[in-house]
Amino acid sequence: MAVPNQAVPTTVAGSVPAAFQVNDRLVELDLDPRESLLDVLRERLGMTGTKKGCDHGQCGACTVHIDGRRVVSCLTPAVQVRGTTVTTIEGVAGPDRELHPLQQAFIDNDALQCGYCTPGQIMSGLACIAEGHADTDDRAREYLSGNLCRCGAYEGIIAAVRGCSAQGTAEEVSG
Amino acid sequence: MTAIPPTLRTERVDARDKVTGAVRYGTDRVPPGLLHAALAVATIAKGRVTSTDTAAAEAVPGVRLVLTRAGEGELASAGFLLGGGYGFQSLQPLMDDRIAYRGQPIAIVVADTPVAATEAAALVTATYETEQVSLDLDAEGVEVVEQAATLPPMFADLVAGDAEGTLADCDVRVEGTYDLPVQHQNPMELIGCVAEWEGDDLVVHEGSQNSGAIRHGLAAQLGIDAERIQVISPYVGGGFGQKNSLQPGTALAAIAARRTGRPVKLVSTRMQVFHNASFRPASRHRVVIGADRDGTMRAAVHEVDQQTSRHDLYPGSYTEITARLYGIPNFRGHQRLVRTDVQTPGYMRAPYEHPAAFAFESTVDDLAHQLGLDPVAMRLANDSTADPITGQPFSSRHVTECLRRGAERFGWERRTHEPGSMRAADGTRIGWGVALGAYKGAAVPAVARITASSDGGLRVEVGGHEMGQGIRTAVARTVALDLGVPAADISVVVGDTRSVPQHLTAGSWGTAGALPAVGAALGELRKALGLAADGPADVAAAVAATGQANVEVEATYTAPGQPPEIVLDRLRRGLPAAGGPVYPGFTAFSFVAHFVEVRIEPVIGRIRVPRVVSVADCGRVASPVTAASQLRGGVVWGIGAALREASEVDPRYGGFLNADLAEYTIPVNADIGDIDVDFIDVPDPLLNDIGVKGLGEVSMVGVAGAIGNAIFHATGKRFRHLPIRLDDLLG
Repeated sequence: MAVPNQAVPTTVAGSVPAAFQVNDRLVELDLDPRESLLDVLRERLGMTGTKKGCDHGQCGACTVHIDGRRVVSCLTPAVQVRGTTVTTIEGVAGPDRELHPLQQAFIDNDALQCGYCTPGQIMSGLACIAEGHADTDDRAREYLSGNLCRCGAYEGIIAAVRGCSAQGTAEEVSG
Repeated sequence: MTAIPPTLRTERVDARDKVTGAVRYGTDRVPPGLLHAALAVATIAKGRVTSTDTAAAEAVPGVRLVLTRAGEGELASAGFLLGGGYGFQSLQPLMDDRIAYRGQPIAIVVADTPVAATEAAALVTATYETEQVSLDLDAEGVEVVEQAATLPPMFADLVAGDAEGTLADCDVRVEGTYDLPVQHQNPMELIGCVAEWEGDDLVVHEGSQNSGAIRHGLAAQLGIDAERIQVISPYVGGGFGQKNSLQPGTALAAIAARRTGRPVKLVSTRMQVFHNASFRPASRHRVVIGADRDGTMRAAVHEVDQQTSRHDLYPGSYTEITARLYGIPNFRGHQRLVRTDVQTPGYMRAPYEHPAAFAFESTVDDLAHQLGLDPVAMRLANDSTADPITGQPFSSRHVTECLRRGAERFGWERRTHEPGSMRAADGTRIGWGVALGAYKGAAVPAVARITASSDGGLRVEVGGHEMGQGIRTAVARTVALDLGVPAADISVVVGDTRSVPQHLTAGSWGTAGALPAVGAALGELRKALGLAADGPADVAAAVAATGQANVEVEATYTAPGQPPEIVLDRLRRGLPAAGGPVYPGFTAFSFVAHFVEVRIEPVIGRIRVPRVVSVADCGRVASPVTAASQLRGGVVWGIGAALREASEVDPRYGGFLNADLAEYTIPVNADIGDIDVDFIDVPDPLLNDIGVKGLGEVSMVGVAGAIGNAIFHATGKRFRHLPIRLDDLLG
């Protein structure tokens, strides 16, 4: 047991300055190259809507969009997003807190229970629709299978994503 | 009690916050000055730490503390949840040099950032003296304990009539031995907490099913008054039994926070969730059923060996449901505990009932096949009205209706009963299977407090935790229907020790404890406001008429037959106080019937489950939207248990080999087809005034049995283990 005898700087040697957009906010930080985008969002920006379920890219709870493409933020070094736009669950609803149709569809289909995987499911669902992978139930199931839901809300998730896909309502946050 | 039709849809009241990312789970908290902790863990399965080297860890920039052993008087065991204590196990790491299982923490590291903490934890090394280990039921060196001879009477053998004597007289006997694997709950939210001191007061944010146990357990561990500790757990990112008690890391985070003078966040890794928290133990079941040629079951024996740890006896209650699935007058259940070198196993959704139902319902299916009987018709003919163990009536039992309605929805009459007789045009083998499930109707003491405001606002505080099952919605809906107000106007406070006492929420008793207390508080509120005994009410006007801004009422509920002062005292001390399933004058169980179709692909033998029909008898359905989701979720769990999930024990070094979410394969979206659910929705007249029984666990019970029976129907092969995988069908 030991306590280091002097205060440690909040950034370590070798840190990298970075600027990127998170939703409608411009972020400028010095980053440890090992820091994941997930930890930066949660622990440094306090944006905790994005969840940590495994930290290994195996569960999808941390899914965000980078320039409209879905990624698992736990496997994305934060330094890699310099100059990009990151969209998180906090950026999905409209400016007046008006829900995106997919968010409303999750409520209408009760596509969640504990809610912990839900932000990742919605970010993947938006991308799945935009990719054109939500045109059949089977294809949507396949392309949403990187997002685990331990409560087992899969049927509602598929109903929500398929319903939104049919209405063509996913594009607006994915750009 | 309602002016609004009970079929009115009440959407999940916290759904909006969940789809916008606004909900704050335990470790979503990021207070100013937060430090991050990580655990270093033992790399042996059993033995002693002889030395620890922390120099490299301490040299990592940003590291504030590396703690390998708590100071004198700084830390005590909180005891085992089922041994009068609060912890998932009695063993508390960092108190001595003993290593009881692989993955046991040997140090906690605290640093400025998660990266530094993780790096430093990996640099802590230790030397060990190792000892021989026994890791599974058949290992050399295990210790076998007769449960009935060792544990209190509630864990005694269940016996009715003379099972062995009657078996000898029966026309037909069927028998099977079933092996069920270790499994892990794997809620999506990792186990973790944020510990903060405000002077001498400790505040813990942690996703837990048991904030009361954390509070009182930490008080015992840290030697401080429970009044100085608050635990805040309004949302749990899934629990499934793994978060039912005090975790060993919480006290370590609290000590680290006290030593550093800063808030500390400790988030377990997924691998640590496999190795340093509870799990479903391995179990082996021998089932014998004797019957007449017409299919009347006259006797059954169910014997179970279940794994436990060296340091705790985690009891088994497997035969509690198998004694009640049918009206079998002669029954003998027997349970033994097998001590192995693991962390203490514990509760995982339908902890006993899922394995027990798989074993028993597979044997029942064998019996129907051997007698050439329709498995549904044979089950209908063996239904019971009285509890075979106590002779008491069931408080309510709608097994026959579950079977009839399920068979109709499923189209069971189109089944051809000969195994292998149903095939698709491409050669896909089709199997249709059925199984029953049951789960005890438990009840717990609860306190509910309602505060009504002159602006019409209603705040309901009640004992219970929201793990996604929908307790907040069930409470809001109950109040909304009673008073005729919108559910959205009601704020529900659960999982917070700053409000009313918090009992463990598990065992499907959450709703059956909270709602009767809320119902009683509503009665008090009506009295306090001078309102009629029922019907819609203008709460705002009634409060305004009192001349006060707020009117607050409180009520308590205790289960039938439980001495109120004793169970309320246990509730206030954070100890479990559940009653049931046997109450004075009646026995309470929830029931379910599952119908499953499996399709087995012709070349590689991949097993798919395209559709399931499940009909549950859980008393009155308190919240139709969330109840349907819960039943579907239980079916998904059954599919995972039947076809996917097993934690692979490392026979050499201990621990589990597939300790992550890529290799411990829980069901994904593409595994799940159509799940059609329905409810009997007849209020239970005896268990409580609201008429509710439990649902969360019974929803899973029997699913794996129905799948195994469907696979038998498709192939003629009976598999007596889980999971059933490709290689079984190829063999």
